[in-house]
Amino acid sequence: MLKAENITKTFNGEGAPVRALDNVSLTVDEGEFVSIVGRSGSGKTTLLHILSTLQTPDSGELTYDEADIGQAGGKKLNTIRHKDFAVIFQFHHLLPYLTVLENTLLPFMNALRPVSSSHVKKAKECLERVGLGGKWDRLPSMLSGGEQQRVAIARALVKEARCLFADEPTGSLDKATGEEILALLKRLNQEGLAVVMVTHDRQYASYADTIVEMEDGAIKHVSLPM
Amino acid sequence: MNILTIPLKNTRRKPWRTTLLLLVFALGVMSVISLDEVSRVIGDSLERKLTAYGANILVAPNVETLAVSYGGFTLGDMNMGDRTFSAQKTVQAIRSIELKSRIAAVAPKLVTSTVIHDNRVGVIGVELQEELAIKSYWAVDGEYPKSPKDLLAGSEAASRLGLAAGNTVQLGEDTYRVVGVLQPTGGDDDKVLISDLKSLQQTMGMTDRIHFVEVSALCAGCPIEDIVSQMQEALPNMRITALQSVVKQRMYSVTFVKKLAMIVSLVILLTASAMVGVSMLSAVNERRKEIGILRSLGYSRGQVFAIFCVEAFFIGIAAGVVGYAAGYFVSFRILDALNVAADAEIIFNWLRYFAVCGIIACLAVAAALMPAWKASKVEPSEALLSL
Repeated sequence: MLKAENITKTFNGEGAPVRALDNVSLTVDEGEFVSIVGRSGSGKTTLLHILSTLQTPDSGELTYDEADIGQAGGKKLNTIRHKDFAVIFQFHHLLPYLTVLENTLLPFMNALRPVSSSHVKKAKECLERVGLGGKWDRLPSMLSGGEQQRVAIARALVKEARCLFADEPTGSLDKATGEEILALLKRLNQEGLAVVMVTHDRQYASYADTIVEMEDGAIKHVSLPM
Repeated sequence: MNILTIPLKNTRRKPWRTTLLLLVFALGVMSVISLDEVSRVIGDSLERKLTAYGANILVAPNVETLAVSYGGFTLGDMNMGDRTFSAQKTVQAIRSIELKSRIAAVAPKLVTSTVIHDNRVGVIGVELQEELAIKSYWAVDGEYPKSPKDLLAGSEAASRLGLAAGNTVQLGEDTYRVVGVLQPTGGDDDKVLISDLKSLQQTMGMTDRIHFVEVSALCAGCPIEDIVSQMQEALPNMRITALQSVVKQRMYSVTFVKKLAMIVSLVILLTASAMVGVSMLSAVNERRKEIGILRSLGYSRGQVFAIFCVEAFFIGIAAGVVGYAAGYFVSFRILDALNVAADAEIIFNWLRYFAVCGIIACLAVAAALMPAWKASKVEPSEALLSL
């Protein structure tokens, strides 16, 4: 489904350029759960951003359903981000002035045409699915960290994304809540959603089908969890 | 829920900041509206007062003249037609033109002469109220005429003929009484006797006849050429002449007040717009994370651009609505404070209200264009990583 080949990415560091990714190749299959682990600065978040099209690689090839999207134009990328990919972050990244329901429906609020009632119904179902039934009128500030992360997951579900990219989704959560979120991701993965997750926690990484270990901008090791 | 929900709800996110921005912008709009209304009323008032210093249009018969000279001797012009015309019809025609509201005074005149103490002197028949409307600078030793057979004497005429208030003068078969002597004006009025128009017409056997009409028109609302053109249509056989130098001099004072108000208004509006721009720019910097989220959800650059523009539009509309209404009421207070409220004719114009709100909204959007463009250029990863 998603294939990265010989991806390189260099950033302008202080004094000298910093190579964040160096000839990285990775494949994510339909419905696969991939964990990317590594220490800070190993390049795992950069890889996630490139895979999710939030960032463009300097070189290498990124293909999605056989189509090259590595250097694709804005319109094509917007369509992929809008329909197929979903990204959740460590700090939830909800719009603080929109309700839970509005945050969930944000992907469909990008036009003057009002969000359809079927989407609203579906959003409520997705919120139920992630355990937030009845909380759709609340603002993010009225939710716990775990609940906010669930809203971001519900947002991915409502648009029926094919692949969910999660950047340290449990990073700001306590252990119990973190495990709940991981269990939820695993359940959604088992229902067919491909998940690419960046984490520094090897225990959480073990929820994945494939664990990719990164070091100094390169893939050091690919393994299957025990 | 649609794309407008995002900017609309964001304006409620920081109510104090939004309110402050709205108030500043509304204050600018209020200043502009009140300045515009006040300058308009003061300009009109000024112009009405200036009409007291003379007419600016002359209506006379279209008489062809033939210069007569022979052997080096010039004998003056020979009239080729009747020099008098109907007062009633002419005044009525002038008062019925489309721009009649711009006519401040219509002063018809009959010019005759008589001999008093072996001196030939001009006697001018006028409608006193209309005459005083264009010659409020007149000052009289004695009193103004109250009855049809009362006369005013110009200062030079009174001196040469030895006339003073209380003397009588024989005009044809009628006896007139001098009730006042005009203080020197420096004009033609010093050399003549001034009588009631209708009475003089009867005395001279020239009922309803006059020689010319002086008209004072207010030129602030329309060009003098339009008034002259309409008068010419109403009086096709008359010669209508605009006294351009008088008009220009008068309009200079009026337009100066309006131009000054316009310049101040522009400065205020530009300052208010700059504040909106700066505020939006700071909002873009503060909301980079939000822009990153929207871009990661597939929002295009254009949609992000639109969100910020719409936000400025909402602020502009609200500032226009509040500012116009406030400016409208503040202008009454200012005019009251300036003691010109009595002259004020401020009418709430709904069309103008909506137009101003639209213009202010467009101005706010224009001020937000650069920040919105900057927002649309934010790359999602750059925005999300910077946090």
